[in-house]
Amino acid sequence: MKIVVGEGSCGIAAGAAKVYSAIEALLGSSEAMLTVTGCIGMCFLEPIVDIYDGDELKKRLVKVQPDDAEKIIAYVNGDEKAVDGIEISDDDKQFLEKQTRIALRHCGLINPEKIEEYTAQDGYKALEKVLNTMTPEEVIEEIKVSGLAGRGGAGFPTWFKWNAARQSQGEEKYLICNADEGDPGAFMDRAVIESDPHNLIEGMLIGAYAIGAKEAVVYVRAEYPLAIERLKEAIKQAEEKGFLGDNIMNSGFSCKMRIKAGAGAFVCGEETALIESLQGERGMPRLKPPFPAQSGYWYKPSNINNVETFANVSWIILNGGDAFAAMGTEGSKGTKVFALTGKIQKGGLVEIPMGKTLRDVIFDIGGGIKNGKEFKAVQMGGPSGGCIPAELLDTVIDYKALGATGAIMGSGGMVVMDETTCMVSMAQFFLDFTAKESCGKCIHCRIGTKRMLEILNRIVKGEGKEGDIELLEELCYSIKDGALCGLGQTAPNPVLTTIKYFRNEYEAHIKEKKCPARSCPDLLSYSIDPDKCRGCTLCAKKCPADAISGEVKSAHSVDTSKCIKCGSCVSVCRFGAVNVD
Amino acid sequence: MESIKVTINGREIIAEKGQTILQIAENNGIEIPTLCYIDEVKAYGACGLCVVEAENTPKLLRACSSVAFDGMVVKTDTPRVRQARKIALELLLSDHTGDCKGPCSLNCPAGTDCQGYVKLIAEGKFKEAVELVKDRVPLPASIGRVCPHPCETACRRQLVEEPISIAFLKSFAADKDLQSGDKFMPEVAEPSGKTVGIIGGGPAGLTAAYFLAVKGHKVTVYDAMPKMGGMLRYGIPQYRLPKEILDMEISSVAELGVEMKNNVKVGTDITLDEIRSKHDAVIVAVGAWTSSSMGVTGEELDGVFGGIDFLRSVALGQPVDIGKRVAVIGGGNTAMDACRTTVRLNADEVYVIYRRTRAEMPAEKVEIDEAEEEGVVYKFLCNPTEIIGDNGKVKAVKLQKMELGEPDAGGRRRPVPVEGAFETIELDSVIMAIGQKINIGGFEQLELTNRGNISADTSTFRTSMDGVFAVGDATNRGASIAIEAIGEAQKASEVVDGYLNGENVGYKKPYFVEKTVTAEDLADREKCSRAKMPQRSPEERKHDFIEVNLGFTAEQAMNEAKRCLQCGCHDFHECKLIRYANQYDVQPERFFGEKHNCPKEQKLVSIERDQNKCILCNLCVRVCDEEVGKGILGLVGRGFTTVIKPEFDSPDVAAYCKDCQKCVNACPTGALKSL
Repeated sequence: MKIVVGEGSCGIAAGAAKVYSAIEALLGSSEAMLTVTGCIGMCFLEPIVDIYDGDELKKRLVKVQPDDAEKIIAYVNGDEKAVDGIEISDDDKQFLEKQTRIALRHCGLINPEKIEEYTAQDGYKALEKVLNTMTPEEVIEEIKVSGLAGRGGAGFPTWFKWNAARQSQGEEKYLICNADEGDPGAFMDRAVIESDPHNLIEGMLIGAYAIGAKEAVVYVRAEYPLAIERLKEAIKQAEEKGFLGDNIMNSGFSCKMRIKAGAGAFVCGEETALIESLQGERGMPRLKPPFPAQSGYWYKPSNINNVETFANVSWIILNGGDAFAAMGTEGSKGTKVFALTGKIQKGGLVEIPMGKTLRDVIFDIGGGIKNGKEFKAVQMGGPSGGCIPAELLDTVIDYKALGATGAIMGSGGMVVMDETTCMVSMAQFFLDFTAKESCGKCIHCRIGTKRMLEILNRIVKGEGKEGDIELLEELCYSIKDGALCGLGQTAPNPVLTTIKYFRNEYEAHIKEKKCPARSCPDLLSYSIDPDKCRGCTLCAKKCPADAISGEVKSAHSVDTSKCIKCGSCVSVCRFGAVNVD
Repeated sequence: MESIKVTINGREIIAEKGQTILQIAENNGIEIPTLCYIDEVKAYGACGLCVVEAENTPKLLRACSSVAFDGMVVKTDTPRVRQARKIALELLLSDHTGDCKGPCSLNCPAGTDCQGYVKLIAEGKFKEAVELVKDRVPLPASIGRVCPHPCETACRRQLVEEPISIAFLKSFAADKDLQSGDKFMPEVAEPSGKTVGIIGGGPAGLTAAYFLAVKGHKVTVYDAMPKMGGMLRYGIPQYRLPKEILDMEISSVAELGVEMKNNVKVGTDITLDEIRSKHDAVIVAVGAWTSSSMGVTGEELDGVFGGIDFLRSVALGQPVDIGKRVAVIGGGNTAMDACRTTVRLNADEVYVIYRRTRAEMPAEKVEIDEAEEEGVVYKFLCNPTEIIGDNGKVKAVKLQKMELGEPDAGGRRRPVPVEGAFETIELDSVIMAIGQKINIGGFEQLELTNRGNISADTSTFRTSMDGVFAVGDATNRGASIAIEAIGEAQKASEVVDGYLNGENVGYKKPYFVEKTVTAEDLADREKCSRAKMPQRSPEERKHDFIEVNLGFTAEQAMNEAKRCLQCGCHDFHECKLIRYANQYDVQPERFFGEKHNCPKEQKLVSIERDQNKCILCNLCVRVCDEEVGKGILGLVGRGFTTVIKPEFDSPDVAAYCKDCQKCVNACPTGALKSL
């Protein structure tokens, strides 16, 4: 028997390391083996412990607590019924069963710290095939057949970039992996690196071979320490096994790889800013053209792809570009990983073939909205993306179709919102993010996003003015037109889409000074319905501002001059007596 | 070198392969604005002003970095491009703190570059100073003496102690110039073949004549009075403005080839239509020459005079019988001119009757004080209700006592009668100096305002008659100060010049960046009092019409001029930002929000940096890095908080500066200044 504890960052955050220790302490002389794996993507069920008999998964235990260690040991010692209470439900099993996993195919299944587990799953076979049997041009052709497009968000055909870098003159070329995953709510890349680092390394090596690079760099944000640690270990192991370094597998192809930890500027996810940062400069975008394929890292031809893009490469080589292209829509091939989060029942990583609908992801796989609330919108693509409302839930996942809504495919962040989310403050949240993350280089982004944020700030405070929506729209279009890089050009998207689909909410804030979602504190007033209040005093006790007064068993009241609108009275009242208007 | 064919704004251009759109445009005289590009350093792309549209390209292209290709079709001035540039400029200006021009200049109705000429005077460059003044005001010796100087009212030096004596500095420099024997004369353009008739030879008419003559047009001034000068001659007493000075300045206008016809009154000697038929354009600048009446009984009595009528009679040398006891009604500058003239006509008792108090008097304080020194008696809070006569001649005036009530719309406390409180004073004559109106005779065919003034467009100065323009006291809101009329006439001369060249453009107030300054901001300035104008003593001067003021010495003038705080931006004339701002008609107010509030003026070696004017074009950083190879400056902070500082915010790097000033030269605004 083998006990496998899911130890991605998310599992560890949920308590997986403590579970591991508890099992380890009780393991004693048991014949069972204890090991770890990465993240399987079911955040809502962490910590997760899998029990294998040989290669067969016997039990998948969820929301495991350290106290459950005894049950697990009892199970591996033969008590079949010991873990009945903590086994995954049939319904939750569907979360994975409904997915099609390519980029995530090993995640949560193999031990990321052991190269043997990767090679046992045909790991580095694709690299071997490429080095032994394919020319770089043939590799590029295979990727072209697959239809693989950049998974970082822009969706640019991968083969085209590889080919451009291949065609560029010069001996010295670089391959760079963009692992500066910065969108709030996105964690696809982290999961891949933490859970399957060799898959990334293999994909990068194939890319390096295709473009003719002898050096590869992974630019990872420093906020991903576990990913960095596991990738470092994986690079070391790959070097030891001869998959990385000089004369790889005696093919004559050499490539070294290193990690650069980024200091946490969102704009460094923009490829030219990333290059500046790699060179030790302030992370600010360069003018394009020239594109990195002509003049990139150290002004040499360079190719930059995102983690998920590379994570598909070895599968494509082994299974053929046609197999990849068989999935998806006419314009968008293969699968896409999404980080499903927000007001969703089952949050986690979802990989599905292109062409599925948003409804499939959010309702069929994600189980719909938490706490019986109504679905309102989903934010795709983080601060660069936009929101898509309920009436467009049947939009298919496809670069073009999503783009037509005003949102973008993005890197995979999918933040689900329910009726209690104010769409104006949602836009404000993202603008606050982009305004702070602007590098300050171009006027449109540096001052434009600041001014947009100021307008949004005053709207949510109830100080919006007639004409503010139009002013925002004017700014939005100008910033899209005038900003230097993708960060600025896409920053208006959350505002534009919320205005497009939820203009009435903006108008309510500005004209009626009301927040329809009852979420903006400055526009709310709290009062207690004397007919419903039983005088239980609970709200008065909980109120942190001493704003509620009243005698026991008689109706209470709120002193609005003291009320800080924290909502604690609403949450403690058992009689629904607190009115929020 | 391989050549390519590029079409810019419909023009086919042969260019070198590898050139950017910006380079090609520049080489072919097509202006594409940019704030962050100069040839010496690599393209950077921050300002986004150089954006252009290219055929088959959905995005706007930055011309500074887009290399043109053969067959490329580019448009540099489409509505989309203009909008993008406009917003970029508005966003920049929404975070730009400074003063393009000083408050003096901004508050001068003629937009005179006060700071500029004061600085030249401080440097002893008197002729240059006059040349600069005459860019806007052709009669500086006269105007410097009589102007109520809105410039000084706005002068920030009063936050330290007292305003700069800007007006007297102007007349000082102009006097010097007139006395020099080599007075400044502007260059006159080649004759245009066009003629302009100007009706009225006062400050407005003479100003329009001066500027239109300079532009090469043949100008004729028609004036109803025996001599040119208008109110400057017939409304301002000799002791304030010696007519010899005015004559010299009028001669300077005449010397430009301006023909001057006196004793020609429109409606009597000639018609407006006749003048119009003789000229390609006509400017009406006839002023407001009728005294307003109070509407009290007894105004028709012998011994009652209108204020400007009285002054005109004295100026013409006509006998005026005012007797020994005179009351002047009103509190404005005309009342002061009238009462002080009366003193000089040897009246024994001169009263100024005003319905409010001294504090509310619209006249200049110095005039009020000087009149008092000369023996004028003020009767405040009094309002005439009746002029009492005897045998058709003034005998006394009955005054209603007043008190101050609530402030009116203009903020001045309204006088209200004290019930039953009256006073009667015995008099020989009454001078009513309470305002003036236009006499519309001869101009009836023009459309009038509901106040009865000539209606003229405030931007194009056009009247209802084609080719006839109107400025000054005769138009729109009526009588005002001379510099106001001069300002209008100067602007109108530009418009009329355009009209003569077949253009139809009006005057548009330019956009300027302005900031607010408090006394606290100037607390570090050393106090230095305003120069006192040397004067003849009241005892001496009250008996004659010789000029009261004796004028500054050169030393006094230079010292006074050195007090100037130089509020306006040193880089105004070279600043690209303000030039583009006006080209693109910006309205940055709509984006106003938080501004950078950096500590003012930081010194770095011999460079003074004002980060509040920095637009982060990064040229200083890049020039220092790429061209000089020093890399002393760098960007610090992120997003809106980004500022340029010594690299890594380290004070030590300044030690490496070789003081080459290349950063200052590269700066497109006034953020950097050589000390």
